[in-house]
Amino acid sequence: MIGFVLGIVLLTNQFEYPNWEINVFPLIGDKPGILTKNASLIWSKNNIADELASILLIVGGLLVVFSKAKDEDEYISKIRTESLIWATYVNYGILILAVIFVYDMSFFNVLIYNMFTILFFFIIRFHYVLYKTKKSLSYEE
Amino acid sequence: MKNNIRVERAIKNITQAKLAKIIGVSRQTINAMELNKYVPSTVLALKIAQTFEKRVDDIFFLEDDD
Repeated sequence: MIGFVLGIVLLTNQFEYPNWEINVFPLIGDKPGILTKNASLIWSKNNIADELASILLIVGGLLVVFSKAKDEDEYISKIRTESLIWATYVNYGILILAVIFVYDMSFFNVLIYNMFTILFFFIIRFHYVLYKTKKSLSYEE
Repeated sequence: MKNNIRVERAIKNITQAKLAKIIGVSRQTINAMELNKYVPSTVLALKIAQTFEKRVDDIFFLEDDD
């Protein structure tokens, strides 16, 4: 949740605010030069707000996605697996559409969202199917 | 695969919820099996058979397209 809020704040402020600069150690970066920021394998400064937002969002998402339901059994595990496969298909389907129809900086934005949408689609679909099976119960007996 | 869990339940007069509790699964699982939407694992099939004091193949049947 914190990651979500921080992510929104960053996206609406063009990644400039909040500005929490600390020393980072890039493993992969541009060739060292006078103008390059964050060259590889050299200590340099970077605003870590976006890194923090991503990590919080991914860890939070994974906790939501893979925490067990209250009455987890083999049927619910099966719904979970199916939803994960479904989310992967939908996610890549949308990515392919985006590759074809979205260009330049907008495509970069699509890539940012695409890091998290697989978890998002999973949560939506898993809980929708669970809700549907719960609802069909009320028609029995 | 088909099954007659619903019939066996009626004979023993226990509800879906009660059966679910006895064999330790959720009610959705029992419901999905009765609607033939879910094929249970062997362990679960054996537990159900044990609960009804029958053999597994008295409760679960293959269909032509299996």
